Amino acid sequence: MKRNLGPAYVAPQALWITVFFAAPLLIIVAYSFLQKGLYGGVEPVFSIQAWVDMANPTLLKVTLKTLWVSLAATIVIILLALPCGYSIARSKNQALRLFLVIVPFWTNFLVRIYAWISILGNEGFVNQALRFLGFRAEGFQFLYNQGAVVFVLVYMYLPYAILPLFSTIDKFDFTLLEAARDLGATRMQSYTKVMIPNIKGGVITAVLFTFIPIFGAYAVPLLIGGKDSYMLGNVIADQLTKTRNWPLASAISMSMTLLTAIAVFLFAFKKPKEQQTVKDIDPLSQPNGKTIEFLHRSPEQGKKKPSGKGAA
Amino acid sequence: MNKILRAVKSALFIMVFIIPGLFLTGCTKKEEASNKLYIFNWTYYTPDSVIEKFEKEYGIDVVYDSFASNEEMFAKLKAGGANYDLCFPSGDYVSIMIKEGMLAKIDKSALKNFGNIDPGVLAKSDFDPGNEYSVPYYMGAAGVAVNKTKVSSYDRSWSIFCKKDLAGKMIMLDDMREVLGDALKYLGYSVNSASEAEINAARDLIDKEWKPNLLKFDAEAFAKNFAAGEVWVAQGYAESIYAEMDPSRWNEVDFFIPVEGGPSYIDSMVILKDSKNSKAALSFIDFIHRPEIYAEFCDAFGFPATANVPARSLKKGPQYYSAESLEPCELKKDVGADLEKYNAAWQQIKIGK
Repeated sequence: MKRNLGPAYVAPQALWITVFFAAPLLIIVAYSFLQKGLYGGVEPVFSIQAWVDMANPTLLKVTLKTLWVSLAATIVIILLALPCGYSIARSKNQALRLFLVIVPFWTNFLVRIYAWISILGNEGFVNQALRFLGFRAEGFQFLYNQGAVVFVLVYMYLPYAILPLFSTIDKFDFTLLEAARDLGATRMQSYTKVMIPNIKGGVITAVLFTFIPIFGAYAVPLLIGGKDSYMLGNVIADQLTKTRNWPLASAISMSMTLLTAIAVFLFAFKKPKEQQTVKDIDPLSQPNGKTIEFLHRSPEQGKKKPSGKGAA
Repeated sequence: MNKILRAVKSALFIMVFIIPGLFLTGCTKKEEASNKLYIFNWTYYTPDSVIEKFEKEYGIDVVYDSFASNEEMFAKLKAGGANYDLCFPSGDYVSIMIKEGMLAKIDKSALKNFGNIDPGVLAKSDFDPGNEYSVPYYMGAAGVAVNKTKVSSYDRSWSIFCKKDLAGKMIMLDDMREVLGDALKYLGYSVNSASEAEINAARDLIDKEWKPNLLKFDAEAFAKNFAAGEVWVAQGYAESIYAEMDPSRWNEVDFFIPVEGGPSYIDSMVILKDSKNSKAALSFIDFIHRPEIYAEFCDAFGFPATANVPARSLKKGPQYYSAESLEPCELKKDVGADLEKYNAAWQQIKIGK
């Protein structure tokens, strides 16, 4: 009889996750329920003060602002990454294009932030070029505001969205697009009604890969942001290093972890159901499928637009 | 293909066996050597030339590790395992480290040059009365740097941050004790105020009068921003500002300590309790306060020789501000549990109500 060696195979990873993920997380949880030390650290006294401090309107304000910035950046990223992933998937030299997406990772991210500072600064390349073209000598204030933070965050996390989107789009059967066109969809409709539902899994992964790290962003708002760009990541860092309130820093971190974990679970439970409905639709064998029904209805709709070319 | 495999194998072999081996021998060597002095100091705060002279004269190897903030230094020492001999905390942290029993007493009779230290500075260092545990290294303060080519009329006062015509062209440190301390001084209070009303008045001044004119609060890149012309007025440390600028442009800068004064600091040399080489540490402290060595240190950074009297006449280079302009400043002290009040005020400034 063959013995089930599954647990043995899993053991190294289980150990890894316990030691380097679960244990630190538990330590953070524990710290959030201890009394803060006067000079940093914690006193071994049980206290829920940190969680009481959390119910603070200023913290709520930062949380909302952080959510807003993360959402804005994530939306822009997905809108940019979709066509990008699509063009890589359809390209003949995929390897080269993927390589180009990965190249920025070779440079440390702080160096890349400073690169943007020297590009967008008042004496930076862009302003110098504009001055050369005769725009106002004062220069434009590109940096140190919320827009700059979103812009650089988009730049930083774009590859994390392109890669998963590429890999799902690559697996997508492009003949479906032709079939959609044959059945009367405009070019745009063939993308939005056939391709997007089919690559939903990739979109969800891309959203998770970008939204979560952006939600905890620290260096970009610190270096690119202005006086009002304080995000949750900065609050945590300040509580640890400047105001010496480790329990509060732990409590905020834990809440952020919980919030993102809940979001991931919601996505994960929703995912299989939707993928099934989309995957099962085969335009040839299931003429009564949802997509096809729509396509049958659509010729007139499609004709209203003079040409689908521009939409692509 | 085989060649590639072989190359990968040998690379792995080197990674797994040889490199850790090097580290191991490194460690054992460290423990053997007793004539090493481990210094834990602010990033680039003692010139290399001074350290080299000390090494040559005493035959001691100096290992210089650096930190960027008192908090970072304190956290690392508290975590243990770091075998430093000599450390350079600011006054407030000297008192904290004394309270926490982290420091060894200093045998002042072994310090031939202790008499060179400015009595005024010694009197001010009441974080360690009688200097049992600490010897002052340098007294200084953050000030204001103004780009004279862009700003022509201004008062040498904190009121410069109220100037609406400079909105978006000014920057202050992301440091609550410094900025709140400046506002407290401007309003005529103590930089170590424990009064909630005073701290809140300072908070409202910053929030309503100063912050609208600021580009941002930044303790990391303020000097870079100033040097790049991004801002024309920067509150910060002179040595950082000048280090970022080419000496040919130094005449564009007016650096001053505002007339109202602000929080000043005394960085001190302390010997850690677990030091294995306190004799060498003591020699280093004495070495620093030799007039010619102290002058060399100050010249390297454009500092006034604040802590050492005879060094003042030996200094050759220019200095960014005078020792006298520090007169109205007040030493920043550890405020203990009152720090909460500063926290609350600072959070409100940075986040808004």
